[in-house]
Amino acid sequence: MDQFTQLTVDALTLGSVYALIALGYTLIYGVLKLLNFAHGDVFMVGSFIGFGVLQLLGGTDNPVVPVWALLTIVTFAAMAGCAALGVAIERFAYRPLRDAPRIAPLISALGVSFFLANSMQLLFGADPRNYNTFDLSNGALYLRGIDLGNVRVPLLRIITIVAAFVLMVMLWFLVNRTRTGKAMRATSFDREAAAMMGIDIDRVIVFTFVLGSALAGAAGVLFAVRVPTTVSIGFVAGLKGFTAAVIGGIGSIPGAMAGGLILGFAESYTQGYVSTKWSDLVVFSILIAFMIFRPQGLLGRPDISKV
Amino acid sequence: MKKAIGLALAVLATSVVAASAQGAQKGSSAIAAGVNCKGTMKIAFLTPLTGGAGFLGNEQGSWAKYAVKTLAPAMHLKIQLVMGDTPVEQGAAVAQTLAQKYVGDPKVVGIIGPSTSGAVVAATQTFFQAGLAHISPSATKTDLTKRENGKLEGTPAFFRDVPGDYIQGPTDANYMIKTLHVKKVVIMDFQEPYSTGLAAAVERTLKAGGVSTSRLSASNTTTDYSAFVTKVPNDADIVFFPTQKPGDAQTFAQQLLEQGKKAKVFGGDGSNGPGQFKAPGSYVSNFAPDITGIKADAKIIAGWKKDNPKSEVGSFGPPSYGAVQIMLTAIKRACAADHGVIKARHDVLRQMKKVKISNWILGGKFAFSTKSNDPLNAKFYIFKIQQDGSYKLVG
Repeated sequence: MDQFTQLTVDALTLGSVYALIALGYTLIYGVLKLLNFAHGDVFMVGSFIGFGVLQLLGGTDNPVVPVWALLTIVTFAAMAGCAALGVAIERFAYRPLRDAPRIAPLISALGVSFFLANSMQLLFGADPRNYNTFDLSNGALYLRGIDLGNVRVPLLRIITIVAAFVLMVMLWFLVNRTRTGKAMRATSFDREAAAMMGIDIDRVIVFTFVLGSALAGAAGVLFAVRVPTTVSIGFVAGLKGFTAAVIGGIGSIPGAMAGGLILGFAESYTQGYVSTKWSDLVVFSILIAFMIFRPQGLLGRPDISKV
Repeated sequence: MKKAIGLALAVLATSVVAASAQGAQKGSSAIAAGVNCKGTMKIAFLTPLTGGAGFLGNEQGSWAKYAVKTLAPAMHLKIQLVMGDTPVEQGAAVAQTLAQKYVGDPKVVGIIGPSTSGAVVAATQTFFQAGLAHISPSATKTDLTKRENGKLEGTPAFFRDVPGDYIQGPTDANYMIKTLHVKKVVIMDFQEPYSTGLAAAVERTLKAGGVSTSRLSASNTTTDYSAFVTKVPNDADIVFFPTQKPGDAQTFAQQLLEQGKKAKVFGGDGSNGPGQFKAPGSYVSNFAPDITGIKADAKIIAGWKKDNPKSEVGSFGPPSYGAVQIMLTAIKRACAADHGVIKARHDVLRQMKKVKISNWILGGKFAFSTKSNDPLNAKFYIFKIQQDGSYKLVG
């Protein structure tokens, strides 16, 4: 039972980060029908921005603000930095190709991905960056928490899970209950018709990139507070986020959340109950199974072609 | 949507196929015919400069550059050092592609590296076919130089100036048995040649010593080890963690504490990174002692520090200095034997085994074993990580 509880906590932590990345893929696909393969690298940049801001605030050895403020500032700084990066990517890499054949922006996305990874490498080197959150308050974020039977859920995991879910709820509210969200949904449904209704399409697209990239930035920090980050981390994270988005139904916001969690649970339980060697095999087998039996994903809508 | 995903997968698949095809070209037997020893010759260094083991390659590169800068003029050689990046995350294809590139360059007369065992396995046949000697300052997998389970992965062109895992595995395991008196050990591997080989060597000795062992296996791209830590029994004494990314050993140690497990992490030479793996009470082994304690090295260290003022002396750099010293000595000997013109790369390869160095950077003298292309009488050292994160030699 203890192992089940521990694996469930692991799954929720991992799944919530995957879900945040998947949301970025799904938002951008929903509005632009573009698979933004640079998204994983935006996530990586977010983790680096967080690291930089953390150092500016004294690092974990000697922070100049309380721990809660430190984590909040670092997360919001990464979100803001990634949002700006998202705007730049959209403006320079995707907007000029908006009316080009679909392969063009896809290749551009791969190019942006390599550009970001290599630029970061040139600027900051190859060394892993460790937030060293264990050093904060003498390990309190790891050693204190809530006890579930014999399993302790450490504070840092609670913070990660809660922060991810708060962001997801805020996103859901924004998309479903605000005027801007309505414009996003209209653009996603039919871009030309939305433009004819007076919606500023460019603005909606830029806002979508701001949202998606900010979520990637937050995910980058929530990931890197627990494990070291490197400039090469974006590829694997992006691949997992993309898989989660496809499983959930790319273009569907609740689908991306569900896909991320499914991936987290599949990975964690496979490692715990089957074999640690098999987790990636199981995860990508789930992706293949979805592609064959339910290509629209869990909560996505099937493509209907007018004949 | 299906079309878009199909298109995306097609683009990814094409990239992978293209990369694979590039890496799978047949080895050339081109020889650098008639390289004048008075002209500029090249030696290439294959090491991970980027990725999770990038710290290792950068440290090794800085020592190799310093060795070329100081030793080549003293031997009246003009040597250009070229660096090739082999990130551990990208597997074998990169090393194979680079091997082709250097074999194709007639000015290249010797190779340092590859630094990691997996990359050596990928590149050594290509170097051997071209008659190019290559010497690794850190690849420790046993079957690169000695037959193990009926298999020999290395070629006669491969040398190393550090001992293999057939020494590291028993050294680490015996320390656990005799000094730490362990009863239960969990052994991880990362599904790549270095870690599986070392994990097997440790496991064999532990089992022979009556220690209860269990095995976990993670992919080389794993970043979060929570689920693995969950599988570590509460009464396990040690988790043997032969990663090539010290930051991951730190993460694992922290996650053990997070889950209230008492086991300590014991890393191999790949985990040795004082800036990154600094969990107090953990252990690491390495093929090099702390050379700051060797008086004869004071001048070398001072010179290297002048060129690298922000860096500390680590364990991976000095063997790279030594590997360059061996290679330059072999080139010098080949030049002398060929009367000032290296007629073929084989001529350098033939001289490698004959190299002997009196003031060896790791202490004492250096010579190759007569039985394998390994150093004679080399050993591994064990360090315990202190409260301040420093490494203390304990075995």
